[in-house]
Amino acid sequence: MIGNLHGAWQAVAGHPLFLLGLTLGAYQLGLALYERTRMAVFHPVLVSVAILVVLLSLLGFEYAVYREAVWPLVILLGPATVALAVPLYLNLRRIRLYFWPVVLTILLGGLFATVITLLIAWALGADLMMLMTLAPKSVTSPIAMLVAEQIGGIPELAAVFVMFTGVLGPLFGPWLLRKCKITEPAAWGMAMGMTAHAVGTSRAIEEGEEQGAFSALAMSLLGAATALLLPLGVTLWLALA
Amino acid sequence: MLLRGLTWLIVFQLLGSGLSVLLLPFLPGPIIGMVLLVLFLCLRGETGESLDMAASGLLKYLPLILVPPAVGVMAYGREIAADATAIMIALLLSFVLTLPLCGWLMQKLIRRQRNAESGR
Repeated sequence: MIGNLHGAWQAVAGHPLFLLGLTLGAYQLGLALYERTRMAVFHPVLVSVAILVVLLSLLGFEYAVYREAVWPLVILLGPATVALAVPLYLNLRRIRLYFWPVVLTILLGGLFATVITLLIAWALGADLMMLMTLAPKSVTSPIAMLVAEQIGGIPELAAVFVMFTGVLGPLFGPWLLRKCKITEPAAWGMAMGMTAHAVGTSRAIEEGEEQGAFSALAMSLLGAATALLLPLGVTLWLALA
Repeated sequence: MLLRGLTWLIVFQLLGSGLSVLLLPFLPGPIIGMVLLVLFLCLRGETGESLDMAASGLLKYLPLILVPPAVGVMAYGREIAADATAIMIALLLSFVLTLPLCGWLMQKLIRRQRNAESGR
């Protein structure tokens, strides 16, 4: 009986679908917790990642083995990144109303965000690899991961930093914007979308239609601008240094 | 329909990967694919039903797609532990400084544009 139980467990845990099933289960648990509580700290990705890290360590699975097993999900990341073009295109139509304000805020604000993050982390003693992982932290995860990898950071860590930054958005964003007397709906949305990507955008949609629209526009545009300019900037900087 | 849209997405990604190696080694393939698709949509003037369907379908599950790479943190426990304080402070401080700055800049530029328009 005991031998059979052991054999049965081997058959389950060794099954090619086991880790994929575990991932789907953990994700739905995270999603349910978020929908029940509506609290930003329970971001579904952060919750399911925490569950999976604990379970995988307890069951003795290495990350490389896990990654191999959930390959069907991993391979979708590329097409999903390309798919970001569709919301970007749809959001671009809104830019006409405030063309120069949007372009200037994206370029200057995006530059400021990247430089200030790097300066603070560098001053606190982070090494070059960690700096390159932190640099794209304000943009949506698929882009941040690709950019981090391109410039010599760790994509897996970049994904987690992005989620962490995103959670700060709904947590402190509305309060901070009120304190700083940012009342223009478009400015409110831009600030959230530029600093807290998709998580900030879902909060901005709750605030109002214009806030939501500009947050989505800011997120799309900053993602594209970062994807194009950050690798270029780092390449030039490393060539000169 | 969904399949046709997905085919387009994969074609654009492959196109991007090819161009990345050929011409633009400092840009990742999927990013080039994304930019090409935006340009294509601008020329076309609409997204089209099949692309719309595939993109919104995929993006709906984007959080799930992001779980496996994020689980990768477990392989980098040592790196995180070494810089944990610096990382947390950098992320938090950068957020607290950047958010109001972006909001303030946008608000200032909007109001200036509005004043210029009403002054005309």
